Amino acid sequence: MADEHKTPLDPRQAWARYEPDARCPWNLARAGHLYRRAAFGGTWMQLQRALADGPQKTLDGLLRPAADVAAFNRQLDDYETPPGDDRNATELRAWWLQRMLRTPHPLLEKMTLFWHGHCTANNAKVESAPAMQRYLQLLRRHALGDFRSLLIGLVQEVALFATFDAKANRKALPNAGFPRWLLEAQLGAASEQDVREAARAFTGWFVQLDQLRFIEREHDAGAKKILGREGTFGAVDVARLVLEQPATSATLVRKLYRWLISETAEPDAQLLAPLVTAFAENYDVLALVETMLRSNLFFAPEAYRQRVKSPVEYALGLALGLEVPVATQPLGDALAGLGQNLLHPPAGTGWSGGRNWLNPATVAGRLKLADALLRNGPYIENSNPSAVAQKHGQSAATFFAQLYLQGGAPAGGEPDARRAAYAAAAQPEFQLA
Amino acid sequence: MNTSRRDFLKASVKVGALLSLAASAPRLLTRSALALPPGKDQTILIVLQLSGGNDGLNTVVPFADDLYHSSRPTLRQVVVKAHRISDQLAFHPRMEGFARLFGAGQLAVVQGVGYAKSDRNHPTAMHLWHTAEPQPPGPSTGWLGRAADRLWDPGAPNLPAAFVGAIPQPFASSSGCVVVPSLRSAHDLVCPPEEQTTAEQGTSLLDYARRATAAAQVNSRRLEAVLQSGAGEYPPYRLADELRTIAQLIRAEAGIRIFFTELGGGGIGGFDNHAGQLGNHCSLLEQLSASIAAFARDLQRDHLFDRVALMTFSEFGRTLHENGRRGTGHGLAAPVFVVGGGVQGGLVGAHPALTDLDQDGQKVHTDFRRVYATVLDRWLGLDSRAILGASHAAVDLFRA
Repeated sequence: MADEHKTPLDPRQAWARYEPDARCPWNLARAGHLYRRAAFGGTWMQLQRALADGPQKTLDGLLRPAADVAAFNRQLDDYETPPGDDRNATELRAWWLQRMLRTPHPLLEKMTLFWHGHCTANNAKVESAPAMQRYLQLLRRHALGDFRSLLIGLVQEVALFATFDAKANRKALPNAGFPRWLLEAQLGAASEQDVREAARAFTGWFVQLDQLRFIEREHDAGAKKILGREGTFGAVDVARLVLEQPATSATLVRKLYRWLISETAEPDAQLLAPLVTAFAENYDVLALVETMLRSNLFFAPEAYRQRVKSPVEYALGLALGLEVPVATQPLGDALAGLGQNLLHPPAGTGWSGGRNWLNPATVAGRLKLADALLRNGPYIENSNPSAVAQKHGQSAATFFAQLYLQGGAPAGGEPDARRAAYAAAAQPEFQLA
Repeated sequence: MNTSRRDFLKASVKVGALLSLAASAPRLLTRSALALPPGKDQTILIVLQLSGGNDGLNTVVPFADDLYHSSRPTLRQVVVKAHRISDQLAFHPRMEGFARLFGAGQLAVVQGVGYAKSDRNHPTAMHLWHTAEPQPPGPSTGWLGRAADRLWDPGAPNLPAAFVGAIPQPFASSSGCVVVPSLRSAHDLVCPPEEQTTAEQGTSLLDYARRATAAAQVNSRRLEAVLQSGAGEYPPYRLADELRTIAQLIRAEAGIRIFFTELGGGGIGGFDNHAGQLGNHCSLLEQLSASIAAFARDLQRDHLFDRVALMTFSEFGRTLHENGRRGTGHGLAAPVFVVGGGVQGGLVGAHPALTDLDQDGQKVHTDFRRVYATVLDRWLGLDSRAILGASHAAVDLFRA
């Protein structure tokens, strides 16, 4: 991004719709940036079409695609119904990766992944693919919907109870893990008093035969004082109390800012204030995401390559550009090796991400994965980088430099397509989203 | 956005400078040539998990105790004189390598180690050793993962820890920040070469990605050189392969301070011999002893052994009495072995008396977290209190 312009730190200016001008023109770099953040990377055709359509029209399609997304997701729901061993979620993980690769609504999967890192369920604890599938469907249903429905759904989800070691919530032995997450992850912090009282509200819930059951006599029906309110609260009530807190909107907006705009700079409260106010009104996730993605700030240098790609983003960005089917069972394993085992995020906190994704071992692992994706092997049966460059009428060096880096080919560009693709994927820029 | 030739050259120069910063090859040369004493910051800890509950009584055999022999009519070991540790204790007959290391003063046998309130259940006992946190529910990180987070320098960036083995990574190395890779061989860190050719204006995040990429490439090239130079002689065991990989990574100065590896297969099985223990356990002990002896020999070649401390652990020991199926049940205390050039060799703590058992298991007199605290504080130079959440008295393990 050769052009520079000053930070639109004024919130109104920052969140106003981006309209290209001479200082901040619509170009391949910005189209690539949009597809990295609002999707898992773009194909050659997608980037070219975006260039022709301009930013706002491209965003219309990313936010509200014309395709029948519901039909696609129903079909995948059928496919992923796990046969055989349903304790193990590796097949479900593979289907999720297929969904990310093939969906007509990549932003929905990108946001499902966001919520997976926020509302963590970990199959190491859950040990049930059906429970993980129901959880993932809940995330997807509300990923761009109403955050209230999502949060209230989550406190009734087997996978969450199991993840927080709370399969039995006895009156005499309340579990603090799940309510602690509910309070701390939404509000930023919670008092021990509130956590203790909220744990009482969660008593009575048991996971039995993969279903959540409420056992009345194990529920502490007494009065509790949580977040300054008194009542005979149950688990869902705690979620409602959390949603009444102004801090909930602020925490989520801040987290989504890291996800969509930048993880290198902490935004000040004043910059986020208009978004926090709007989100608190009706918890409309799509509206919040839309404001961020359409904004001047999103297309400014403050956001450009200010995130480290997660392993999923690195691998899918590379694979999508090759326009061939990918075997996602082994790919899921490879991503786990790079630190992102889908359906197994660190409980409560999610992946810490950012700079932590990159160390000398994970970078070597990413480059080895890139090299493997560019050959016939476990991930791709017929990997043909040369054919895809030819199909779009480009020299290999130019094609892959533009596709992966939105930059020019280095001097003396590599004529061999596989080497040219690797050369692009091995550049430090390609580690950044 | 064409990259001009000038930009290209500029970027190459920049990367060249990064490479020399990241490279510690000169350090490697001086240390090998002059055998400088190890710097405290370069010490390396290797943690070896013996999965299933190792039978300490047949590993360090109380050969002079009649109760041992009478309790184990078919499993009892007749020890050889050369393996004697004291007039009461001796290493298992198949553990010649351990006997030699002990004789050279490079092996400490810490006796009576464990967790006094262990419920003797594999997953919960192992989780206890992995988290070092007895209060359920444990933290979402393991003790080695937390140590790795302390060593993690995202400014560099470095690679503080690695698991080496083919099984899923045990929980002990689960970290909060740093990604701890699972390596099957040193080749896993060797990526195809590629120059950094892009000349995009640097932001601090891009500079970081450039440093990380340069470090990965430098590591790769150094590892290739080490892999080509050939390794020492190792016996044909999986553990030996893994220790050879660790030796290669140490030799290549990959900067890894904590290695984690495993013997026994990870799950139940391995050291968990409820029936027909004799043959299987003998074989495991031979693998353990011979692999570690080969590793020590290999590292001694270029004076790297002084930088290394290897410690073993298992989730619990076993019962004194053998059962009707010529096996043993889940016990309590067991010995922990610590091997290395800087280790104060010898016996540490008393052998728990066979006349004073807890449900047929040897009683614990040394909480396992005291050993953890010692290797963290005294060997890695970390703050064990921050990692273990409490202070634990040190055990005498290292030479001053």
